[in-house]
Amino acid sequence: MRLFNRLSVIALLSLSFGFLSCESEDPVMENEGEVITDVNLNFTELDDSGNPVGLTFTFNASDSEGIEIGGSPVVQTVTLTKGKTYRMEIEVKNTIENEDITEEILEEAAEHQFYFLGTAFVGSSAPLTYIYDDESGELIGVRGIVTVEEFPGFNNAEMRIVLRHDLDKNYPGADDPNFENFVLAGGETDLDIRFPLVLE
Amino acid sequence: MKNLLPALFGFILALSIAHTSLGQDCNLSIRGKVIHLENNQPIYSAYIWLEEINSGTLTDENGNFQLKGLCPGQYTLKIQYLGHKEIIESINLSSSPFNKTYRMEEESLELSGVEIHGHKDAIQTTTAVTALYGEALFEARGENLGESLKRIAGVTTFSTGNSIAKPVIHGLHSNRIMILNNGIRLEGQQWGAEHAPEIDPFIADEITVIKGAETVRFGPEAMGGVILVNPGELPVKKEHTTNLYVLGASNGRMGNINMTHTGGSGKIPGLGYRIQTSAKKAGNIKSPDYYQGNTGLSELNFSGTLGYTSKKLGVEGYYSYFNTELGILRDSHTGNLSDLQEIIANGRPFTDAEFTYDLINPKQVVTHHLVKLKSHYHLNPNWKANIQYGFQMNNRKEFDKRRGDLNERASLDLELFTNTLDIFIDHTHVNAFSGTWGLNLIQQANNNVPGTGVTPLIPNYDMLNLGLYGMEKYSKGPFELEAGARFDIRSVSTARYIQEELETADLSYRNFTAFLGAYYQISEKLEFSSNIGSAWRPPNVNELFSQGLHHGAAAVEIGDQNLESEKSLKWVSSLEYSGKKSLFEITVYANKIKNYIYLNPTGETYSSLRGTFNVYEYLQANAMFYGLDFSGSYEFSEQISGYVKGAITRAKNLDEDNFFPFIPSDRMDWGLSYSFGKDGKKNKVTLSNQLVAKQKREPDFDLAPAPPAYALFGIGYMKKMTIGQNKLNAGIQVNNIFNTSYKEYMNRFRYFTDDIGRNIQLKINYQF
Repeated sequence: MRLFNRLSVIALLSLSFGFLSCESEDPVMENEGEVITDVNLNFTELDDSGNPVGLTFTFNASDSEGIEIGGSPVVQTVTLTKGKTYRMEIEVKNTIENEDITEEILEEAAEHQFYFLGTAFVGSSAPLTYIYDDESGELIGVRGIVTVEEFPGFNNAEMRIVLRHDLDKNYPGADDPNFENFVLAGGETDLDIRFPLVLE
Repeated sequence: MKNLLPALFGFILALSIAHTSLGQDCNLSIRGKVIHLENNQPIYSAYIWLEEINSGTLTDENGNFQLKGLCPGQYTLKIQYLGHKEIIESINLSSSPFNKTYRMEEESLELSGVEIHGHKDAIQTTTAVTALYGEALFEARGENLGESLKRIAGVTTFSTGNSIAKPVIHGLHSNRIMILNNGIRLEGQQWGAEHAPEIDPFIADEITVIKGAETVRFGPEAMGGVILVNPGELPVKKEHTTNLYVLGASNGRMGNINMTHTGGSGKIPGLGYRIQTSAKKAGNIKSPDYYQGNTGLSELNFSGTLGYTSKKLGVEGYYSYFNTELGILRDSHTGNLSDLQEIIANGRPFTDAEFTYDLINPKQVVTHHLVKLKSHYHLNPNWKANIQYGFQMNNRKEFDKRRGDLNERASLDLELFTNTLDIFIDHTHVNAFSGTWGLNLIQQANNNVPGTGVTPLIPNYDMLNLGLYGMEKYSKGPFELEAGARFDIRSVSTARYIQEELETADLSYRNFTAFLGAYYQISEKLEFSSNIGSAWRPPNVNELFSQGLHHGAAAVEIGDQNLESEKSLKWVSSLEYSGKKSLFEITVYANKIKNYIYLNPTGETYSSLRGTFNVYEYLQANAMFYGLDFSGSYEFSEQISGYVKGAITRAKNLDEDNFFPFIPSDRMDWGLSYSFGKDGKKNKVTLSNQLVAKQKREPDFDLAPAPPAYALFGIGYMKKMTIGQNKLNAGIQVNNIFNTSYKEYMNRFRYFTDDIGRNIQLKINYQF
């Protein structure tokens, strides 16, 4: 019976060891650092010599809950004037955490690139022309120049803006801002927004 | 299929009736089975003697014997086996044949050099059981658990690329089957499709698959089957053996090494130990036309056992550590639905990868610790008390491609603690009964490790499960009947934040399960077993609480807190023929599952600034799984032999009258072997061919249609040598000889890439 006593002691010890150390912790709220809630397109008119003219105006796409299930995104209509040239700066934000994701994109410039698609940019009669004009000289699309045709074939179009992450920037054709086959360069999509465009 | 089951049953019935009606004049027989009283293991080569006719026989591997051509009368039966008490019984043989099971008790005489037997708790069940060991296990070395088990008819894998493979038994996987690591139910994060079992197959010298519902014996979730990963027996006397494996594979340039050292103490008889460690490294896998980017892995595992066995007491301590880091095919990780559709349309990754061992995100880092303490005590020759305690810690980190510092942080970081306690009593009696009665306690805590920067997919939770069970077996010679029942109660309490609100839930489940099984040795060569068992599985936390984006899969998954427990009834029957030259086994089954939980596409899409996503929800329906497995071999001559095996699985959603996704298609495997060489130097060349049909029973919705049928060829050469006391096994295997491009329906990466191309493996095993 001595053995039995020893056994029960072992059993009790192991039990207390295990079961005591084993209760789930209280959950902790996570900072959704990666969520994108707001994308702003800031337009500033440029004159013939490329100097800014007048005030900057903004069009916004927002989704208050970011990527979580629930609300659907609200996308404003972009209104531009025929025949004019604008500087377009894109701001990407996480308002839940009050973070400026644009900075992160610029820090990882080699891994990010915006593409400008939809009927506004693609096709022979597209009313808009885009040229990358980023400060660092790298093709990112955070800053660029948008030129509106003086006599466009149509006054309504769709501006589709796609942000690709982790792509191969050296892939043939990846340097074209209107590269429709962006998937061929690898990576994944971080943003894919369709802004309605009205030309006045 | 529908007509086959009753037909087969009728056939068996006819056979047994024919058999029992033979009792005429001097045509009577005595049939018996001789087993160890201690553990019900069959005794091979026990000596059977019938005094009156001065004639006898020996028992076969299964402990069976048969004495035929007896006239009615009084007989004295003697059974002898070294180290065991002799059994003498008078038998009055009248008109019907005589059947009985004999349990032999070990001699308690203090003979010089009394042998202490090592304990190996074999699984005693009337369900269909298949084991992988010896040569077949050697051929499987270097593969993960799932891949290894594909060698067993009726077992396939549900995989995510080549490094993540979950075993599928009769169409069921993940939380519907159970894996036991040396007797402890493995508790990891098995709910995820891309979560492989956290276990190193090198710890086992035998891997057993039970194809029946075994909830009564093993607890909830053992619905489709059970996989036992069992190390060998520990030595009980002074001896030391080392088992070294060195393996390499051309595809992925994989290297794998394992060393197991087993030793027994000379000073303390009954004291033995085993230490085992393995390491594995592989780089990018190559499909016939391209490398799959970021598909390498590295693994480092360890296990150690210390055991003591005396006549009455057995104590064992066991620890195992599993660690893996594995890459996920870069292009399989998509940002939104249109990304996903683009790559599926492309049929292969967009990027042309090169060979590298380096891993980038997305990747997984998983560690699993398991501690086991087990003891048994023989109260008397008939009763044995057992206590087993297990502690497990599982940590799963999943890394996604993210921006900035977040890229270094896991986006899923789960810590799961599990305590299991089993207390049970085994009894075996000289009369026809043996059985087990016990209680089983499982306690679990799951934590989301803070700091991921992602709202957790599943909540933190505590789970407590108490089960009480009992089962009894009645044995009468070639016939065995078994029944058991179990009652479980489970409570789960969860907590998490949903948009800054603390959300808690308390859930409870209770369930009763039972089984009934029978085994009959129809003749020396023919065995039949049949088992019907109920099983249950409470819904998993992910099925209850998922709410949000499944990162990388471009899917939004929505759980349902009101899901009920799944309840199933599985009937498995198996017929085994073992002749001199041929072996054949067929297993048929039907498994009806009530409230089967599945992820159903709602047909809706959800849109965000990131793009659109498919929305899936967890639903329940009544399901019917049925099918058959077969395997056989035939020796054409001493040199040439052939084998064949295959499986057919059907799964239907009875409510919707459609099919479930990811059910294995019909498949078979066959091959021919040529053996040559003499004892101590044996050679074998095997040609094999695997045929896999297209899955024509597709679900209503799938991202891509089922891939076409394929055929793969393989060739292997194996050499077995004895060098003095040492053994050397060496082999070369070439899989997919013709470098065929194919896709397997059960591989989730069929959406993104072709499967693995030609692979040449070199395997060396040295035992010294």
